[in-house]
Amino acid sequence: MLPVVGYTDRLSLAPGESLDVMVSSFGAATYTADLRRIIQGDTNPEGPGYKDQAIALDLGGERVAVAKPFTPGSCVVVPGQGVLSRLGTCTLAAVILPTRLGGLRRILALPGCAELCLDDQGHLCAVLAGRCVLRSFGRVTLNHWHMVALAHDAASGLLTLTLSPDAADGGELPEPETLSAPAAWDATAATECLIAAGREGGALTGFFDGKIDRPAIFDRVLPPDRLRLLLADPAALARQSSLIAAWDFSQGIQGTAVHDLSPWRLEGRLHNAPARAMTGWLWRGQELDWKRRPDLYSAIHFHASDVHDAGWAVDFRVTLPETLPSGVYAIRLVPDGDEDAAYYCVFALRPPRDRVSGNKVAFLFPTCSYMAYANHRLGLDVPGTEIGMGRAVEIDRHHAFLQTNPGIGYSHYETHDDGLGVFHTSRLRPIVDLQPRVKAFLGGVGSNIWQFNADTHILGWLDAIGQGHDVITDEDLDAEGLRLLSRYRVLITGTHPEYHTRAMIEALRGFTERGGRLMYLGGNGFYWVVSFHAELPGLMECRRSEAGIRPWEPGHGQFYHAFTGEYGGLWRRNGHPPNHLCGVGMTSQGFDLSEPYVLTGAAADPRAAFLMQGIGTTPGQRIGAFGLSGGGAAGLEVDRADLAQGTPPHALVLASSVRHTDIYLMTPEDLLDPTPDWTGTQAEIIRADLTFFETAGGGAVFSTGSIAWAGAMAAQGYDNEISRLTQNALRRFLDPTPFDPP
Amino acid sequence: MARYPISPEDLMHARAFLASPIGYHSPGLQRVLNRMRGPHWDRRYVLLVVERHSRWRLAILPNARGAAIEPVEGVEYTDLIEAERDIFRRRWFDLTGQDLDAALAAGGV
Repeated sequence: MLPVVGYTDRLSLAPGESLDVMVSSFGAATYTADLRRIIQGDTNPEGPGYKDQAIALDLGGERVAVAKPFTPGSCVVVPGQGVLSRLGTCTLAAVILPTRLGGLRRILALPGCAELCLDDQGHLCAVLAGRCVLRSFGRVTLNHWHMVALAHDAASGLLTLTLSPDAADGGELPEPETLSAPAAWDATAATECLIAAGREGGALTGFFDGKIDRPAIFDRVLPPDRLRLLLADPAALARQSSLIAAWDFSQGIQGTAVHDLSPWRLEGRLHNAPARAMTGWLWRGQELDWKRRPDLYSAIHFHASDVHDAGWAVDFRVTLPETLPSGVYAIRLVPDGDEDAAYYCVFALRPPRDRVSGNKVAFLFPTCSYMAYANHRLGLDVPGTEIGMGRAVEIDRHHAFLQTNPGIGYSHYETHDDGLGVFHTSRLRPIVDLQPRVKAFLGGVGSNIWQFNADTHILGWLDAIGQGHDVITDEDLDAEGLRLLSRYRVLITGTHPEYHTRAMIEALRGFTERGGRLMYLGGNGFYWVVSFHAELPGLMECRRSEAGIRPWEPGHGQFYHAFTGEYGGLWRRNGHPPNHLCGVGMTSQGFDLSEPYVLTGAAADPRAAFLMQGIGTTPGQRIGAFGLSGGGAAGLEVDRADLAQGTPPHALVLASSVRHTDIYLMTPEDLLDPTPDWTGTQAEIIRADLTFFETAGGGAVFSTGSIAWAGAMAAQGYDNEISRLTQNALRRFLDPTPFDPP
Repeated sequence: MARYPISPEDLMHARAFLASPIGYHSPGLQRVLNRMRGPHWDRRYVLLVVERHSRWRLAILPNARGAAIEPVEGVEYTDLIEAERDIFRRRWFDLTGQDLDAALAAGGV
């Protein structure tokens, strides 16, 4: 397990800037912190050896380790503004589509006064002063819409609860269930309204799983048929003199504010980033893009497992020296003097913002992909992972921590507990797999490392060959685009840069088309569309529409991102196929063995002579029959060149893998007709293509199309033909002489 | 859910697996492994890393999030290949009720 865990408020900062460090104890009594430069994180004894560098910076000595909890769960918080505490006769109403039960789930709550809830059996409940005073006989049906209401008549003292299921398609509207009882109503303590949660002892609790549409409050008792008509017509609703509040989730979908249609202006705000742009009560497939008919996207889907910001108190602040060179660093937290149990809060120190560093090489630190995989549970929650690995799942300490602490929040690879995909991921929480010295699930036989730790094979290689470089992050690239890239002659990617925003993709294209040189040292890159939230830094959205290797789909009608309005899914379907940028695109995956490449006739092309220097050019010659990630240079996730998908016609495929195990299967976007011959030993299309091409602007692209490539670079202490070939590319790419396409 | 039943005819595939647990497998062996490693288990065998790259404990992973991982008392490995063989034998027993080594010694296919 992990005795101490932490995170920083940023994954990228410049020299002279500060970052906040948040720490929680999970058993440690004390901890000390120091600053390390991370150079090579793989602990495989067959590899080049773990390597970091202590940076002399006083971080304050020993501290007490304070336990801080994870507090997941999303809702809307509406300050009462003195209006709600005056409620006497009233009706609280909403249309709900519950997706999961368990405990008491709040739909609408006026803490200190009344709550409209579902109990663990799906009965609708009215709770006053912590006591259930009314409970419906009927139960809600999961994944179906229901209108629910709680009314109080001050004159009679009666409380009335209404459960009104929606009609099944084509059926008659069922009779609503209505029941009443006398109750003592006192709203004077109601200083807020919570939608999808309650509050106990100051803490939010009782989170709702499911969709809520059109929550509203009236200052009179309204019967179900009247409520149904009003809620279905927002324009009429807004004109009702009885209206106290009506929250219209279809307005301001890209933001965090929740708009009140009423003249009372009881505006709310989202907590923990639930999913917006979700199909509402009246959506029947009339439109698929929420931007064209936002009125149909009037629901928010809340989850008890939503996490945006862990919200831990700051333990200390670190200011990075002005003279510290760009690189990958970590605040190392050592619990109770046990260095083996250290936790690493990893971040990138980018170059200064206002001046160039002089380095012509930049490593693109793939923070979008790290966030997409943040705290992923593939080996824990996805039984098929063992089939894909071809061997048993290894559970490292951080995996065990994830298993017992699901409140840390999920990655883009999980579903929430109700089965809906996790659209949002955040870096404002501990990311326990963004650390050196950890094992993984998908890294192949050998080192079995993934994402950040696998990328340290490249950082270690740059260190081993003495190549000065800057480190820039995806978030930097998203914000600054080509302005940032134009400082460099060569951009090097990580092993698996899978997730990109539109701004990033367009900046990369601009770079290669204006003389920049791209070294794509990975596989399955530039695959999924993601977007950042305009108001909430560190929050990222992904909706996996239609195709791609994906653990979930966003649900019918919900393929457009809420954050930006972009169509979610593959860049291949959004006008930026990876083949166009880097010559190759995702074709298959398997996580057992990797294979060598076999040289093609193109390896002898004079245009590639600089690459093959000292390697050989004989067709059929094998290279990379070794490596720390599966035992070969081609593997884990592999990309192919394909003219039909945008590979430039003049691209040279220098070498290809020619066989993989039958764990490697075709991607769904290419598998139009699933016949049983699309496997690694049978289908020629399942291969990694080592690809080179020049661009019209004097630039060039070198792509390995394999996650395992870096694991081969790191074999034999970085002294091998794969390392040499990569150095050949880097050396020429650093030469300012323009490349000329044939 | 899984459909393929492990039968005595699969003993030849078991023999092939024990000879080479990781890597290229025949379609028949792959089908046996898919059955063993598929999603139908409520509790799965996993390897708890004790010391990276050198020591592992056998454990049971429940499917439920938040549930404790249960180490299997007294079962440790210093070799991942041996761990694969042991897990294969255990799953063979779980699916057939047969001791795999005894079945192979009795001259199975």
